[in-house]
This record gives sequence, C-alpha cells and structure tokens, in this order.
Amino acid sequence: MHSAPPGHDRSLPYIRAVGRALPAHYATQEQLIAALREVWATRHFNLDRLEELHRNVQVKGRYLALPVDAYPGLATFQQRNDAWIRESTLLGEQVVRQALERAELTARDVDHVFFVTVTGIATPSVEARLANLLRFREDFKRTPIFGLGCVAGAAGLARAADYLRAFPSHTALLVSVELCSLTLQREDLSIPNIIASGLFGDGAACAVLSGAEVPGAKGPRVVASRSVFYPDTERIMGWDVVDSGFKVILSAKVPQLVKDHVRRNVEDFLVEQGLRRSDIRHWVAHTGGPRVLQAFEEALELESSALSRSWASLQEVGNLSSSSVLFVLGETLEQAGARPGDWGLMLAMGPGFCAEMVLLRW
Amino acid sequence: MVELEKEVLAEIRRIAVEELEWKGAVEPQQDLLRDLQLDSLGLTVLAVGLENRFRIRLSEEDAQEVKTVADLVRLVANRVAAPSRAPVEARS
Repeated sequence: MHSAPPGHDRSLPYIRAVGRALPAHYATQEQLIAALREVWATRHFNLDRLEELHRNVQVKGRYLALPVDAYPGLATFQQRNDAWIRESTLLGEQVVRQALERAELTARDVDHVFFVTVTGIATPSVEARLANLLRFREDFKRTPIFGLGCVAGAAGLARAADYLRAFPSHTALLVSVELCSLTLQREDLSIPNIIASGLFGDGAACAVLSGAEVPGAKGPRVVASRSVFYPDTERIMGWDVVDSGFKVILSAKVPQLVKDHVRRNVEDFLVEQGLRRSDIRHWVAHTGGPRVLQAFEEALELESSALSRSWASLQEVGNLSSSSVLFVLGETLEQAGARPGDWGLMLAMGPGFCAEMVLLRW
Repeated sequence: MVELEKEVLAEIRRIAVEELEWKGAVEPQQDLLRDLQLDSLGLTVLAVGLENRFRIRLSEEDAQEVKTVADLVRLVANRVAAPSRAPVEARS
C-alpha cells in the first residue's frame, strides 16, 4: 500500500478563514505605565526600573476589555471573572460572525466548536453562550479547552484538524478569547506580574476549518502537527490560583528553553514530513515576547524578515496568549501572497512547558 | 558597617528563598549567575527587593562590578552609607 507524499493526502483539512477582534478600549504603553505607577509606589522604591521593564517588552499599546479606570473597581475573583464572561462572550460573538462571513458560511454550517482560553472560567462554557447568540445547530459538538495558555492557538488548530480527518464532511471553528487584562492582580507587585502586566493584551480570534469533503472549501491545508512536552518544567509558566484569581508564574528561562529545544523539535518534525527548514516559506510564530522571538530567529537561523508579522503584532497589540498565533496566521493568509505549493509552519509554546507545531501547505 | 552587611546578606537570603524559590544555601563567596543560577529575571527580582528594603537605587553600571553575593552585599552597604554616589541619582 502506498501513501501519498506529504501535502498531497486528499484527507487534509482546509483553513478557510481566520477572524480577529480587539476590544474597543485602547491604551498606549505610557498611559498604562501612568495608571500603574501609583499602585507600584505602594511597595516599590525605584519606579524608573519598573517603567523600564514595561518599555523593554517593545509593546506600543494594548486593547483592553474595559476602560483603564474600570480596573481598580475589580477587587475580587468573582468581579473579574463576571466581567470576563460578559466581555469574552461579546468579543467571541463578534469574531465568530466575522470569521464565518469571511469563509462564506453561516452558523448552521458549523459541526464542532473548539473554544480555548486561559484567562477566565465559565460553566456553561463560552461556546454554549455563543450558540444562543449565533444559533448553531442543536447537534453541534463542543470542546472547551482551558489551561494550555499561549500554546492553545496552535494546539487548538491541530486538535480541530485531527477531528476533521475523522469527520471530513464537517466544519469546525477554533475560537480563542483571551482577556489577559482581567487576570491582572493589582495587589501582586511581584516582578513577574509587573512584566506580565506590560506584555499581555486582550483579543479574540476564530479559525474556520473544513474537512476535505466539504464542497467549496479552500485555503491552506493542515498537513500534520506535532506536540512536544518538556518534562519537569511546571514552574516555567502558568497560574497559581489564589483567592483573588490567577497569579502569574513566569520564568525568564523561556527564551533559553526555546534556544535549547526548538531547532531539534522543528527539524525532527520536518524530516518526518520529508522537508527541511529551508522549505518553509511562511513562519507563523507565537508572539511570546521580544526575547522569545529573538530565540526563534537565532535557533532556527531565520532571515530577519521571517517573523516580521509576529514582531508587528507584538508591537501593536502585545501578547494575546492563544489568540496571538491566530492573529499572525490570519495576517499570513490575507497578506503573505502565498502561492500554491508553499509550505508554512505554525509554532507556539505554552505552560507545561510544551510546544506545538502545525505544518501548512497552500 | 559589619552589622549592615549582615542585614543585607540576610535580605538576599530571604529574597532567594521566598521570591526566587531557591532551595540551597546562600553564601558570600557564591557567584550569582553560576552558583545561584540567577537569570535576568532573577537578578531583577533580587535588585528590586534590595532597593525596596534599603531605599536605594542600583543601576546597570553597578551590575558590571558585581559577580558574587559578597560583591552585592558590599555594593548595597556602600550605597546605603552614601546614597548620593549612585550614578542614577544624578538624573533625578
């Protein structure tokens, strides 16, 4: 029995469109520094150093779920999470409508919704609330995924593609909503939290995928994916769940982990697919932060322009956790001028610590 | 000065255990990077903790001359004794 060469397998799912949405409230990095300075002064002596930490992440500003002056009023986990449910449902509805319109589909065409987030919790989960607003069919399937963090944009896309190989006549949505600003612990004045409050922003993305047998489906195809788990790295990134909500765990070891592992991980995956790094024309990298992007560039020996969309996204909107890599994917779909036969690689990392790679072919 | 240096060393030990999740001993002769395995974030956490506790400012230039725990103890103690000599103070 002969199998088709990579990228020519007829069962490969399509990525038809990626919607992106940002909340209405925007604040520049300097406005956010000014808003936080007073809180920092309650415990810290050298505020100039903290301002530098906020400027070093190279983010120009962030979109926020609420106006800046509404955040001090959110004192408890319940208040933050209630705001998260309300705002993530609104932003989720907006991004799904946009993505379906771009894919020329309706909510009735959707068979399965994968909903990923790490910034709030809800039961019923947000995709159920979206079903009431958008009127998905009563037999639509739901897979809410909490806890993968930044990797969930790539991992969620990979899981949706796995599903569509089994159900090639179906259409699936990957919906990512991350309202990082609503996890901010104002009373946590630790350095990791101060860095996180300078780096992470709010946003939502929705990828529309169809199985190979769906009539009219077009777009790049998901050829393969690979998950990589790094043992004994639980304290590299994550949440400590405390009475007031999610307290960030963030280690400076992330860029070093990328440098140590990503090249071998990518090469092993590509070799399995009969490819080399030089075959990849479109790199779709999660916008972890400036040092993570630099680590990707160095470890993978990429040209200076290879991650330009990731750098631009980081500067314009900050790290949107799982939504970030989908923002970069959407911009690649619409602006990269990809030609039939081009290869692309999505790459993200997140709590575990772990990585997810998704191979695309136009 | 000796008392002050003891106080600084005690604060470095507290930060290492409580904020940096350091499990081992902290001794003056240890190298901050090699022995205490501090990365850029760890060094920042340590510097901020000392700045807050002793109401001083530490700068990038200061970091050039600090390799060991003892170097850091001396720097902080000197800065507490003569805060106006801190390079960063000239800006404010």
